[in-house]
Amino acid sequence: MTERKPPAIEIDAVTKRFKTDVALDAVSLSVAEGETLALFGPSGAGKTVLLRVIAGLVEADAGRIRIGGRDMDDVPPEERGVGMAFQNFALFPHMSAFDNIASPLTARRQSGEALRAGVEKLATMLKIGHVLGQAPKALSNGQKQRTALARALAGGPRTLLLDDPLRNVDAKLRFEMRLELPRLLAREKATTIYVTQDYREAMALGDRIAVLEGGRVTQLGTPEEVYLAPATLSVARLFGDPAINTLKVTPQTDGQGPFVLLSDLRAPLDDGLSHAAGRPCVLGLRPEAVRFTEAGAPGAVAVTVEAETPLNEKTVTLVTTKRGREILVSRPAGTPGPAEGAAHIAVDSAHALLFDAETGARIAPRETTRRGAAA
Amino acid sequence: MDHASPMTRWLKGLALTLVVIFFMFPILWIVLMSFQTNETILRMPPSVVFTPTLENYQALITGKLVSSAGVLEIQFMRNLMNSVILSVCSVALSLLLGVPAAYAFARHKFRGSEDIAFTLLSFRFAPPLLVLLPLALYFQDLGLANTYIGLIWVYQLICLPLILWIVRGYFEDISPDVEHAYRLAGHSWFSTFRRIALPLAGPGIAAAGLLAFIFAWNNFVFALVLASADKQPVTVGALAFVTASGIQYGQIAAGIVLSIAPTLALALYAQRYLVEGLSLGAVKG
Amino acid sequence: MSAPALELDRVSKIYGAKAARPVRAVDAVSMSVAKGEIVALLGSSGCGKTSTLRMVAGFETVSEGAVRIAGREVNRVAPAKRNVAMAFEGYSLYPPLTVRENIAFALKSARLPREEVARRVAEIAHLLEIEPILDRYPASISGGQQQRASLGRALIREADLHLLDEPMGQLEPALRALLRGRIKHFVKERGLTAVLVTHDQTEANALADRIAVMEGGVLQQFASPAELKDRPANLFTGTFIGEPPMNVFQAQARAEGDALRLGLGEGVALDYPAAGFEPAVRETILKRGRVTLGVRPHAVRLDPAGAPAEVAANQWLGDQSHIAASFAGGTLVTVEHDRARLRPGDRIGVRFEPADLHVFDGETGAALSHGGRAA
Repeated sequence: MTERKPPAIEIDAVTKRFKTDVALDAVSLSVAEGETLALFGPSGAGKTVLLRVIAGLVEADAGRIRIGGRDMDDVPPEERGVGMAFQNFALFPHMSAFDNIASPLTARRQSGEALRAGVEKLATMLKIGHVLGQAPKALSNGQKQRTALARALAGGPRTLLLDDPLRNVDAKLRFEMRLELPRLLAREKATTIYVTQDYREAMALGDRIAVLEGGRVTQLGTPEEVYLAPATLSVARLFGDPAINTLKVTPQTDGQGPFVLLSDLRAPLDDGLSHAAGRPCVLGLRPEAVRFTEAGAPGAVAVTVEAETPLNEKTVTLVTTKRGREILVSRPAGTPGPAEGAAHIAVDSAHALLFDAETGARIAPRETTRRGAAA
Repeated sequence: MDHASPMTRWLKGLALTLVVIFFMFPILWIVLMSFQTNETILRMPPSVVFTPTLENYQALITGKLVSSAGVLEIQFMRNLMNSVILSVCSVALSLLLGVPAAYAFARHKFRGSEDIAFTLLSFRFAPPLLVLLPLALYFQDLGLANTYIGLIWVYQLICLPLILWIVRGYFEDISPDVEHAYRLAGHSWFSTFRRIALPLAGPGIAAAGLLAFIFAWNNFVFALVLASADKQPVTVGALAFVTASGIQYGQIAAGIVLSIAPTLALALYAQRYLVEGLSLGAVKG
Repeated sequence: MSAPALELDRVSKIYGAKAARPVRAVDAVSMSVAKGEIVALLGSSGCGKTSTLRMVAGFETVSEGAVRIAGREVNRVAPAKRNVAMAFEGYSLYPPLTVRENIAFALKSARLPREEVARRVAEIAHLLEIEPILDRYPASISGGQQQRASLGRALIREADLHLLDEPMGQLEPALRALLRGRIKHFVKERGLTAVLVTHDQTEANALADRIAVMEGGVLQQFASPAELKDRPANLFTGTFIGEPPMNVFQAQARAEGDALRLGLGEGVALDYPAAGFEPAVRETILKRGRVTLGVRPHAVRLDPAGAPAEVAANQWLGDQSHIAASFAGGTLVTVEHDRARLRPGDRIGVRFEPADLHVFDGETGAALSHGGRAA
């Protein structure tokens, strides 16, 4: 990330209410030139509203948007130099794919050969050169999505707003586009805000991820920071499939320092965490941070195996501890699993997360970046 | 949806035929009447066998009504012309004012927008005669009585609310994102209105225009009170067929055929766009 | 001997049969669903899955073939008389009734005692997490809630067949994961027979006993999730099922002494000793010459001594890394379960074990072998 240049997009304390509902609550973010910011959150979090405020399609109640250092207060959408792809594609139904893609160019009074060349270059890049003459109605979902993307890129915008563009295409295409998009965005050199509900897309595409929940940014950081050191319990729950295991614990402290008890196992905590002793906490364990082990191995906890299900190249096992806690364990598909019935699990305590049960704020680990760099 | 056996299918066909005959019969009968003289029309028992004559059409076109009481001058062709002028001009004016207004009501929710839209619709509720009496007096004073401009103005009471409310619904059905996308491509709001909203609402505008045209064409009271002989449309002019020597059924029938012809032609022409609108389903998806 | 709950016998749906070019939306689909089975019709939009379901429900006429429900041919039976319950994609709740009344509607029409109706509505509301909205009207609840209410209205009925059209498309990912398990449990516990239409293979895998994969109106394969993954009948099923999708390469097969040599283009050739393939399979592959090679991403082995590839992208998703590499003129995707430290431009070697190879006919796409054994 370059540090010197002014941010390409600055969102400064933007608030938006719809009647009494607060859609955006003093949201501030800045996106560096050429950066891709993934705007991630559950539906209704305000992601789309924020994108529309930036584009000038929705007026904020308070706060400012600056693009390239320029205040956008009185700038109409068509003069903001913004390209946008919509979740439902929003293609012009009465125009051919060609005319759809050409629309930003006709607005610049381009015509003839230059226009044709511009459209065809983009279409070839996005592999839709053969359907340019067709109406949107005749296109497949994947082709519609590529047409919408080409249209957003055609004007050579400095700012690209992508509103969950892969949501309505099938899994195979979504995967291909996820691999393809970063190269495309790098080539176009556009500063991008990418809205998504899929944490995998956010992690794969975002240089940084802004997590939006209930109209507030609850965490802003690199994929490493957000995944390995989520700011709150709810952020931790939003990342990972299957979702993170959460166990109610109360840290204790003795002569050797603070620790939590997992079944009968003493899991030591960082020395700096003695203040958490006695406070109700939630321990977060990612399913992939739990592994099966031999009985008698150090840190082994006896469990009962309940069910196994395959999930995207992984095998997910539901186990219960003697005290009846349910824990999901995941491992790469095809690797040997536990025998039926009784088994033992071990927890990689370096990957355990501790949250304050009341506020949801993360207590451990205390740093946000250390392990990201070490991984 | 068809799970019927051949028998029920046959019965359905029969029922449909009966309904069609029931509704089409008056029109068919009038067309037949328009090619007969008063005597053959009134003979008992009626029959569909007759020697066709163009007498009635001839009388209407030349303006000379020959009856047993003598030759009467009528202005049918003039009335027809008036109908065309009044209807076309009022619908055109309504479209010019109503379509942009409908767009504004559909896209911009401002304080009181619903009230204004409803007030415009409420013009349709008021009994026309109640409005007409004071209006007639004002028009006399303003010199608008018995002018095309005055009549076209009053016809807005019929056409404008209709167009406003129908077209508004069509604009509301267009996804705002489609328009947003066009603006973000760098086009002004006006160009977005012209290139996106208007074409996509085209079928709706055609339907509303057609409906408004039919209502304007069939209007009777406004013209009866506010227009004298030379500005009368056919609806009022048809009164002339009730002569001292009786009712001229043949000419009335021919008059009806001639006066529904333009609306029919327009409807058939517009139908193409209406159907096109239905197949352009992508607008709503 | 009891008849299957649903039987499709060469069922076709032809639109515009009298037009110059009739469209065969569904083309001679035959399948049979046993009582108590959950079957998913899986395919991308326009594949004919929804038309098939609508023919079963009776909302579309059957152009050719026969639909039998519980042994009775229903081609000419009105929808209401087929004893079928359906949850619609577009929710279709009765607007003047509350959610509770909507769900209870069929039971009340069947004149069940009031307490019985209340008990069952409460049960299904609990299952679908819609208790708080039971007394609200459809217009005042969100799309996801409407969809769950519609699902509840269908599941509460006792019918020969439950048809679910994209039953969870509008739901949040976390809720979807939760409800999948609950719905499957509910359906199995009561021994209901369900046919669901979906474009989401995760949903089909999680819910269905067997999956019917459709494309272009044709049933491509009808098998259990495991079999679809391990033994795809053709190239379409092979690439459609699996996340990330299967890698495919055109190859030219040649005998190289005892070994089988597969030339992939750009000078890349893979040699497999005779032991890797059954003699008959080897013979077939050699006879075809042009074949399509398929390898699942997780089966790609990184091996410095393997065929050369160059990393194009490395996307870390928290629990796994997806790596795209240019290989033999195409793109190869591989999944690593640890965080891979590869960067774009890195040179790697890849190897495919014979046991992981799927070989398809280069022209028809029909499967020739899976893991060296005949398909």
